Amino acid sequence: MSKDRLSIPDYNTLFSEHRFVEQRLNKQQFEAPCSEQETAEALAYSQSAEYMEKNFNRKAVVINPHKACQPLGSIMAALGFEKTLPFVHGSQGCNSYFRSHLSRHFKEPTPAVSSSMTEDAAVFGGMSNLIDGLENSIALYKPEMVAVCTTCMAEVIGDDLSSFIGNARNKGVISEDFPVAYCNTPSFVGSHITGYDAMMKGILSYLYERSGLEAAPGSGEETGEKLNVMLGFEPYTGNFAEIRKILEAFDTKYTLLGDHSGNYDSPATGEYEYYYGGTRLADVPLAANALGTLSLQKYTLKKTQDYISGTWKQQVTALSTPLGITGTDRLLEAVSGLTGLPIPASLLEERGRVVDALTDSHPYLHGKRVALVGDPDLLIGLIGFCLEVGIEPVHIVCSNGDVDFNEVKFKEEAGALLASSPYGSEAALYIGNDLWHMRSLLLTDPVDLAIGSSHLKFAAKDANVPLIRVGFPIFDRHHMHRYPILGYQGALNLLSQIVNTVLDELDRNNSGFNYDLVR
Amino acid sequence: MDPVRKVDFDSEACGSQTPKSKPCPRPKPGEAAGGCSFDGAQITLLPIMDAAHLVHGPIACAGNSWESRGTLSSGPSLSQYGFATDLNDSDIIFGGEKKLKESIDYIAGRFAPPAIFVYSTCVTALIGEDMDAVCKEAGDRLGIPVIPVNSPGFVGSKNLGNRLAGDALLQYVIGTGEPEPETPLGVNLIGEYNIAGEMWDIEKLMNSAGISVTSRITGDARYQEITWAHRARVNMVVCSRALLGLAREMESRYGIPFFEGSFYGAKETTYSLRQMAYLMNDREMERRVDRLTEREESRLAQDLRPYRKILKGKKAVLYTGGVKSWSVISALKELGVQVVGVGTNKSTEDDVRRIADRVGDDTEYIPEGGASRILKTVRERKADIMIAGGRNMYVAMKEQIPFIDINQERHKAYAGYEGLLRLAKELTYSLANPIWKLAASSAPWDKEVPYDR
Repeated sequence: MSKDRLSIPDYNTLFSEHRFVEQRLNKQQFEAPCSEQETAEALAYSQSAEYMEKNFNRKAVVINPHKACQPLGSIMAALGFEKTLPFVHGSQGCNSYFRSHLSRHFKEPTPAVSSSMTEDAAVFGGMSNLIDGLENSIALYKPEMVAVCTTCMAEVIGDDLSSFIGNARNKGVISEDFPVAYCNTPSFVGSHITGYDAMMKGILSYLYERSGLEAAPGSGEETGEKLNVMLGFEPYTGNFAEIRKILEAFDTKYTLLGDHSGNYDSPATGEYEYYYGGTRLADVPLAANALGTLSLQKYTLKKTQDYISGTWKQQVTALSTPLGITGTDRLLEAVSGLTGLPIPASLLEERGRVVDALTDSHPYLHGKRVALVGDPDLLIGLIGFCLEVGIEPVHIVCSNGDVDFNEVKFKEEAGALLASSPYGSEAALYIGNDLWHMRSLLLTDPVDLAIGSSHLKFAAKDANVPLIRVGFPIFDRHHMHRYPILGYQGALNLLSQIVNTVLDELDRNNSGFNYDLVR
Repeated sequence: MDPVRKVDFDSEACGSQTPKSKPCPRPKPGEAAGGCSFDGAQITLLPIMDAAHLVHGPIACAGNSWESRGTLSSGPSLSQYGFATDLNDSDIIFGGEKKLKESIDYIAGRFAPPAIFVYSTCVTALIGEDMDAVCKEAGDRLGIPVIPVNSPGFVGSKNLGNRLAGDALLQYVIGTGEPEPETPLGVNLIGEYNIAGEMWDIEKLMNSAGISVTSRITGDARYQEITWAHRARVNMVVCSRALLGLAREMESRYGIPFFEGSFYGAKETTYSLRQMAYLMNDREMERRVDRLTEREESRLAQDLRPYRKILKGKKAVLYTGGVKSWSVISALKELGVQVVGVGTNKSTEDDVRRIADRVGDDTEYIPEGGASRILKTVRERKADIMIAGGRNMYVAMKEQIPFIDINQERHKAYAGYEGLLRLAKELTYSLANPIWKLAASSAPWDKEVPYDR
């Protein structure tokens, strides 16, 4: 097919042609448009400090949100367990959004079903939808566990999951021993990370309680249950591989609680299955006997952590996403602290290599001003990484700042982290804000780089700032999620992504005087 | 779930000749089905590019959907902004009307849009927000149309949402404006959303034949042009038979004749252009259309030759909704591709009849979703390629089935003569990519028989 007979220009090329430009101008007489001058003035105004103030005074409307809702996170949590079918109790559109959303990020199919509630369910309640839905989905998708979460609709009409599922059992639709975990995830509170937490806690407590086991922390050491590790709402499948590598270097036994990497990084073998990998259901009750639990998203997994330390009476060490050298050091210390094992030499060597890479690149990073958008745990990790290499975080926007969410603590921690380094002195934290706020920030106080999800690309383009895609969702780039960003290897990946963007920009914007071969 | 020849549709269901208020077939609990009415209403109206689209509800509906459709704009981009009232639990208890009003005021003040569409969601419908009243009050006060779109997700399927959006246009938009006196009047394109820029290809063709577009409903539309849609001479229902009701109503209200057509495939394109000229009752225009379509078709035949050679006899499974389920069959047939399986999940009775007109007897109808159901057809019928939407794409990749995306996220325009050429090219590229050979063979040290489709 090298001889391509078809050459149709794309619209960027086509619309810059004279005849199209003219056509567009002609069309404008029907559009009652503003004059070019007015447009330019409005644009300039939207970039002014005056507009920024008005923008930040905006209370009612959210413009360009940077968060998804609870059930989305809960589906991700459910897919972290073996042969588990996520089931969304509510109207079906929500589920279709979640499946698209997750599939667009991971470039993988997302098995999830809904109870397809409609008007009559709104009036009479959704019990029959839930029962029919369980019956149909178990027959169709043959899961070994169903994980039910709710949508706004079911929450508003007050459907009672526990009794509905009980009724399904009474009716014989599901057998007594078929596990159905559940949690409440109204979208009008919290966000995807709250929902992740709710389902994670829902599954752990459900499987543990029905097993009839008594938690005996530390007793599992002989049987191999030494350490539990939770990654949380983790958009990087590569991070699972990296954490496994680290734990294996320690030679410790561990259980990953909620491992969706199998489902979201499965091989193309010629045959699609609904379920790949995930934490084994039988491992969950045994995890109650582990020495301790390491949580790698302490803000996301708040309720789950409380459950484990409270009910399982385990020592819980909670960190934010361990990015960069310092972040990874802390991770290794935590593993060592919980297991009593020394830090392996192979990891120390890797650390040295990555530190070497960071020193190689530091001249290009020092003093670069960046804007950051993300979930709390990712932001703590990113801020730490930036400060390590002399990058200055300037604008930091975190959408997930509901009151429930313990905003003060995140603000305090991020603030203290920023205050710990001169490179953090210019930073300002914005909690509960959206990407239209970020646009104002980028335009009134320009930075060199923006770091955030694909959604940030619109604001970044307006402000002509290169965007480094980190976090969730990443829809418009391929395979980013396959490379780890945590651990030493992750630090190296983040570093190359950032430094090479800086170098690309240097070359792209170069007028020719400094177009060096060697950088 | 045996394959069926004819789905048992309610004759009064969505898309039949006289749409009544009865909703489209109900979704079945426990399946991985498609979108909701809110989604359907939004996708119908979002291509009105200069309007603001405000979602009245919790963050989910906007947060999960903003800027995720490939409907392109030649100018304004306000439609791409994700506006949401982001209701929280206290709003649910005390009501979100005040927040809605403030949101509308903010958008009007800061973005000065020609109109604001306000979408209800499951939550706002359930807690009984009086959206109509808030919109009316705000519209009167601000002096711009503020249009309530009452299509909460739970009322039914995506198709029903399309219809409800059409109702909103009829009730609040069409007939409220007048074109400039010298504006040449022609055809309304109803249900063409300019996915991947298809509208532009169509408009170019129409213009070459001297036919002007009066209103785009709604691909790359401006709010103003829809207000004068009632002055058009002909309505063409391009896609989404759910908007057929809109065309019918315009016929009875304004006496505008309509026809249903498609631009997928040369035959359908030619038919549509001729139908436009015929309904305009303009002999000179008909002659121009004849000359244009002859020229285009013969040029296309020439250009298609190398692709046809490769595509002849290839088998495809088509899984898409609405009008595309039959119109794409025509396009594929012209390329020599045989459709061995076709989804009828979102098709109406008429759609199914049209499918039957176009395919042979041994084509399997796939009445409902679920990846395994589609895959079964692909395997049993030994299909070479799967043509479906984004949610099924990655399943196809797992099964190593060549795939092209036909739904709203596609990045290639397949309408018109040039579009057919693009489709031919995409099919060929997808089928001929060397990766399939690599994927289908096992590693060299593995003695197993290579995977053979």
